Amino acid sequence: MYILKLFSTFLKVNLQQDLAYRADAIVNMVMSVIGTGWDLLGLSIIFANTKEIGGWGPSELIALMGVWRLVNVMMATIVWPNTEKFNTGVRDGSLDYTFLQPVNSQLLISITRMVVWRVFDFAIAVALIIAGMTSGNVITSPPLVAAFLALTFSGAAIIYSLWITLISFTFWFTKFDNSVTIMAALMDAGRYPAQVYPYWLRALITFIIPIAVATTVPLQALRGELMGWQIIGFLVIGAAAVFLSSRVWKAGVRRYSGASS
Amino acid sequence: MQVVKTMLQQSAFGAPGADSNPIVVEGLSKTYQVTDREGGFGAAVRSFVKRKFRDVKAVQNVSFRIGQGEIVGFLGPNGAGKTTTLKMLAGLLHPTSGSAKVLGFTPWERNSGYLRSMTLVMGQRNRLSWDIPAADSFLLNQAIYRISDADYKRVFDELNELLDLAPIIRKPVRNLSLGERMKCELAASLLHRPAVLFLDEPTIGLDISAQVRIRAFLKEYNRRSGATILLTSHYMADVTALCERIIIIHHGQTKYDGKLVDLSRRIAPFKLIGVTLGDCADCDLSRYGTVVPGEGSEDAGKHSVQVKADEVAAITARMLAELPVVDLTIEDPPIEDVIERAFHE
Repeated sequence: MYILKLFSTFLKVNLQQDLAYRADAIVNMVMSVIGTGWDLLGLSIIFANTKEIGGWGPSELIALMGVWRLVNVMMATIVWPNTEKFNTGVRDGSLDYTFLQPVNSQLLISITRMVVWRVFDFAIAVALIIAGMTSGNVITSPPLVAAFLALTFSGAAIIYSLWITLISFTFWFTKFDNSVTIMAALMDAGRYPAQVYPYWLRALITFIIPIAVATTVPLQALRGELMGWQIIGFLVIGAAAVFLSSRVWKAGVRRYSGASS
Repeated sequence: MQVVKTMLQQSAFGAPGADSNPIVVEGLSKTYQVTDREGGFGAAVRSFVKRKFRDVKAVQNVSFRIGQGEIVGFLGPNGAGKTTTLKMLAGLLHPTSGSAKVLGFTPWERNSGYLRSMTLVMGQRNRLSWDIPAADSFLLNQAIYRISDADYKRVFDELNELLDLAPIIRKPVRNLSLGERMKCELAASLLHRPAVLFLDEPTIGLDISAQVRIRAFLKEYNRRSGATILLTSHYMADVTALCERIIIIHHGQTKYDGKLVDLSRRIAPFKLIGVTLGDCADCDLSRYGTVVPGEGSEDAGKHSVQVKADEVAAITARMLAELPVVDLTIEDPPIEDVIERAFHE
């Protein structure tokens, strides 16, 4: 209850901050629509020449694009703005105040800055998923939809945990923000199914920067390609990632020495 | 205010194993490991391949106790270890060795009960969000510190009465003057009624009148709430206005812990006699003591003579009898000089 109240208060404050920059919000909404249109155009060109990519048809790829965009919404709403704020905080010492507040510091650095107008991107992502799932030959059932939702959530949690781990390394190495940039570059690989990539890249986006776990895997569940134990396995991996990243964060915070006065 | 005081006392002394002193520090030390390399390109390359580190002892074996309601000045030159000590006591840094209890809590365990009972104000850092009015940041603090609406209103009204916040809290923080911002920073730091305040140069950069207002506020807040305050400042006016007791730290070690007046007597057992003379071209003031250059305007016939404290009465009498004295004052040596001497003693 407390966390929800805290979250809604931060949301309100961030909304006030974003409302101060109207032009910026409108430009970004237009960019989202153009980006989505561009992605759909790319898919239509591909499918004008071939019937499937790695065994995935057009409607499934639209749904995949929706899931990929959903993960990107999380990144754009929370991860990137807070990474910037975190790096500034480490350099100028303003992070000190974060650690002085009687709230879990990991939660606080994750929600301090939220780019609220990204809710528009969220709507586009959900629309793409629904359009993809209902327009083609995706055979699905309520248990598969439940598995899809759980795996999407768990996949997003894995990406979030990876981010927390990477920024925690700043406490040891002082400057480590480029790792987050590499992570951002590899996120792009999630827009197509993992099966279309060469083996080494598939391994990279599944085990190292697990964007495939956050995008391809949930849709595989929706297509009925995953066994029950596999679904449970991915959910356990998600929970383990959250647990381990919070341990790394706590260990990092212990090393925090702040900027000098 | 009685309600606030009672709540403060509950939060301060309800902590498990609380000492009667809210702040107890025993043998606290902090050593940083820093990269050590010479200047130049070659050294940069060598350091990239093989790092050399050296230890910097920021705080060494510091011990003190501070009683409830005390305001203690924590003084030292830049790099003496003041901020490091304050950050350890606020729970931001883990010490290399030693122990500390604040309100019965070990600070660096960052128990949420502890974090709700104290505050750290750093004059050189911003707690408030830049783009939104301070009033919105206050509401954020209300949520973070779980302050009920009734308590928030009561405490805010009081802070408003003392700091005259109403005209400034609706403006975005970036549009406030430095003095206005410091008022809001202090208010944001005190909304949760902390029982212990760590203030790291709270008046830095402020103009004289803003400094005076902040000092008056801190004194009144301390009087009303009984909060314990540990204050660092390079402005001696802060120290003389607020602190009966000071702790001096230099090179990470405690040099002095006691009353400010006692330090003055010990370090500088002399007084300054300011004397304005009438027509007297060949009066020799060095017969009475050490003539201090630049202390008075000699053009106006004013001179300062430093004499031993126990000889002031006799020398003053001699001066009045032997010289054409127009005006005469007896002053303590400037506190800046006393502290400066203490740093290097």
